[in-house]
Amino acid sequence: MGVLADVYEMLNTCNKCGGCHTACKTYKLTGSEEMSTRGRIQLIKAVADGKLEPNQEYEDAIMSCLLCGECAVTCPNGVHGNELVMAARRDLKLRKGIKPFVKSFALNTLASPKRLGMGFRLFGGMGKSVLNKIDGLDYFRGIDIRNFPTAKKPFLEQVPQKITVQHPKHKVGFYVGCFLNHSLDQTAHSVVKVLTKNDCEVIIPKDQVCCGLPQYCYGDFETAKRNARKTIDTFLDKYSDAEVVLSACGSCVAMLRHDYLKLFADEPSYLPKVKSFCEKVVEFSEYMAKIGVDQSKLHNSTPLTVTYHDPCHMVRGLKVTTQPRQLLQMVPRVEYKEMFEANRCCGAAGLIQAFYHEVSTDITDQKTQNIKDTNADLVATSCPACMLRLQGGINKAGQKQKVMHVADVMANAYED
Amino acid sequence: MLSQAVVKRLKEIVGERNVVTDKVGLLTYGYDGTLLSGEALGVVSPQTTEQVVEIVKLMNEHDIKLVPRGAGTNESGGTIPSEKSVVISFTKMTKIHEIDTENFVAVVEPGVINFDLQVELAKKNFYFPPDPSSFKASTIGGNLGECSGGPKCFKYGVTRDYMLGLEVVLPNGKVIQTGGRNFQSEPGYDLTRIIVGSEGILGLVTKVFVRILPIPRAKKTMLALYDKVEDASQTVADIVAAGIIPTTLELMDNLLINTTEDFTHAGLPRDAGAVLIIEVDGYPEDMDGQVKTIGEIASKIAKEFKVAQTAVEVDQIWTSRRSAFGSVARVRPSYGVNDITVPRSNFPKAIEGVLKVAKDFGVTIGVVAHAGDGNLHPLILFDQRNKEETETVHAAEQALCMMALDLDGTISGEHGIGLVKKKYLDKEFTPAAMEAFRKIKRSFDPSNRFNPGKIIDL
Ligand SMILES: Cc1cc2nc3c(=O)[nH]c(=O)nc-3n(C[C@H](O)[C@H](O)[C@H](O)COP(=O)(O)OP(=O)(O)OC[C@H]3O[C@@H](n4cnc5c(N)ncnc54)[C@H](O)[C@@H]3O)c2cc1C
Ligand code: SF4
Ligand code: SF4
Repeated sequence: MGVLADVYEMLNTCNKCGGCHTACKTYKLTGSEEMSTRGRIQLIKAVADGKLEPNQEYEDAIMSCLLCGECAVTCPNGVHGNELVMAARRDLKLRKGIKPFVKSFALNTLASPKRLGMGFRLFGGMGKSVLNKIDGLDYFRGIDIRNFPTAKKPFLEQVPQKITVQHPKHKVGFYVGCFLNHSLDQTAHSVVKVLTKNDCEVIIPKDQVCCGLPQYCYGDFETAKRNARKTIDTFLDKYSDAEVVLSACGSCVAMLRHDYLKLFADEPSYLPKVKSFCEKVVEFSEYMAKIGVDQSKLHNSTPLTVTYHDPCHMVRGLKVTTQPRQLLQMVPRVEYKEMFEANRCCGAAGLIQAFYHEVSTDITDQKTQNIKDTNADLVATSCPACMLRLQGGINKAGQKQKVMHVADVMANAYED
Repeated sequence: MLSQAVVKRLKEIVGERNVVTDKVGLLTYGYDGTLLSGEALGVVSPQTTEQVVEIVKLMNEHDIKLVPRGAGTNESGGTIPSEKSVVISFTKMTKIHEIDTENFVAVVEPGVINFDLQVELAKKNFYFPPDPSSFKASTIGGNLGECSGGPKCFKYGVTRDYMLGLEVVLPNGKVIQTGGRNFQSEPGYDLTRIIVGSEGILGLVTKVFVRILPIPRAKKTMLALYDKVEDASQTVADIVAAGIIPTTLELMDNLLINTTEDFTHAGLPRDAGAVLIIEVDGYPEDMDGQVKTIGEIASKIAKEFKVAQTAVEVDQIWTSRRSAFGSVARVRPSYGVNDITVPRSNFPKAIEGVLKVAKDFGVTIGVVAHAGDGNLHPLILFDQRNKEETETVHAAEQALCMMALDLDGTISGEHGIGLVKKKYLDKEFTPAAMEAFRKIKRSFDPSNRFNPGKIIDL
């Protein structure tokens, strides 16, 4: 039983009331009990009780969870379905490694900077040109592959290790993250611009690696730990002059700030260091709102209707919801419109979009409809994975809205 | 195990993905809101009435029983698969065919979730009064299967009172329609009312004509706080005696106040012995008078009486009340819900009775009640893993049922009989009445094919 023993009391606390049905998008859209939080929990419990041998169907039920965390805030008994799923994934990994082959390939690729960069570029170059020849293959499993952006050169190779400003008030270590490094490099530049315009010196360690979240989510704690240790040591030892470690990816921040503590809970000697690292981690909007943005430098002459999508990790992981909205409304001539269910998952959910694409496509379709209903010109958000997913969904639906990071919207409002 | 041929045929009828026969799938359709579980031979999820008919015929050919299921939140074991049965799940029949605000009728499929219907109705300024606390999960098919009630039922009545007509697939595979759009009762027997509350043992409902109402113009939500739960029950009796009918009159005791507070942080005082949630609705000009009268009655005994000022406050109060059942696993992992109901005037006596049972048997009981209806849900908290404790709980439950019957009450107000309350049914009804039940079942379902073993044994 092992890992499941640790969460057994929580498994047993689920009294099958069904309160989470309404929270769980994978249930709402399929009507299948095994795709519900309650179903997943009862299955995990059956495995823990030795009544069920993990098989392919079990794995599907566990792996198709979006880890959106909505169930955890809905359950009147305080059961955290997402955490139980995480434990089940870890348990699966310990039992037999991560299968099928594709999943482990994807995860290993993410864990290694070299392979990751190659993967992104392959996809952007040769990969895409091959796909272009295949008729009708614009959307592979709901992901808009033709328009999948790839940086010509990783962001980390485009910028110096340190970007100074005239009168530095703050020193910010920038944790870029895989997506901004390899795919949405423009957004990474936007982050730097907003920071420097607000008197922050930016330190960008070249030797930073993936935060380990994807591996952690699929139960591969060993690889996740390796990457976590590297990240912590890099920022704390080598670049200790950075006052904060800032990231513009809500998911990375949740991992760096919260999950690292859980990951190293079994290493008491290293834990104090992890703690001091976690305390330094900040999310982009959260930090900007805290240090204060000089509004007089923001200019914009075209009226713009903007709506905001709360990434799962931002709203339920970090509980950062007001700051991004505040920042957006600081830009002149922006009219802010709230969308229906702004805080619900967009369907990207890490690798779910690739492996359980049918559910995730339906979820995205709902999201794009909610966006359309606001009549906004622009959707802002705080997570690169959401950005790609949303833009893909919007394009597929034939809508016109542009998806940007909060940092992009702000950066565009600086004159040079 | 279902034979290959049957599985193949089922897949032809409803499509490949709407048939489940693997262990994982079967496990998740084997439980409901109770502590019971079972395992079906398969699960099939139809999307049309025609598919339901085909399924019924196929199952008849192979002598396999059918267990109808909505969201599986019932509290009576009503969807626990029996031997040699296939679960027919209605969660994929989720169309709202029509919302007719001129005639106050909505036509829906049985798998529509109560809350989803409310959302669509609210867009047109209408609502569907039956609102079980499980309304965010439970289906219209399940609501009518159990004849569910909810907080609004004091003033507005239960599910039965909002069912105008049904499309039903009978055990012989024939389709009938009962009632319809018209408000006046239908000629002949009122078949709608026989099917409603029949817990899926007489027919499979595939379409529902429900009565809807315009949302009241105004409402006021009040809280009365008490030192002791007995005091709260006296206010209930006083309000009823004064001839006032609030929309809702809900009671929670100290235990429930605390477990729901852990979840909602609505600000209910944790040291209060009980709280009454009182709501009135109607025309704006009637509100103040009603609030005043209720305030006067409540304040005679209550230690505090207050009127919710903001919509957020009202929302929080209701989230607390609705999560009551759900939240008790914070105290102990298992619970037995009782559903006893007594004539309103006997409500204070019933509360005394519950306290006595808790004391006599040494069990922890939390009380939440649709007090206006005299419907109490004493929740007995325990740990199912402890055999001895579990037996004590069963004995305490029996004592609660007997206590309700002694007060001219009933063993089940709104949760149905299913498997859980079956053993008490003949305590409430005479042998002749029990035989009448059986005869009705036999005339619909002579071969006992639909939801066998629920409510009564043949
Ligand atoms: C937290 C919680 C709170 C609750 N609060 C309340 C409450 O306030 N009031 C209340 O009355 N109940 C309450 N309940 C009990 C339960 O939610 C209700 O009985 C609900 O109506 C069941 O709906 P369901 O969709 O889950 O149906 P299920 O549990 O799936 O089925 C209920 C019954 O209906 C039958 N059935 C389902 N669909 C059909 C169909 N299409 N044709 C024929 N038969 C069918 C089933 O065979 C079964 O007998 C609560 C339960 C929980 C867990
Ligand atoms: S996880 Fe919570 S909300 Fe969901 S069924 Fe279990 S107890 Fe109820
Ligand atoms: S984390 Fe999201 S997808 Fe996973 S069970 Fe909870 S609500 Fe469902």
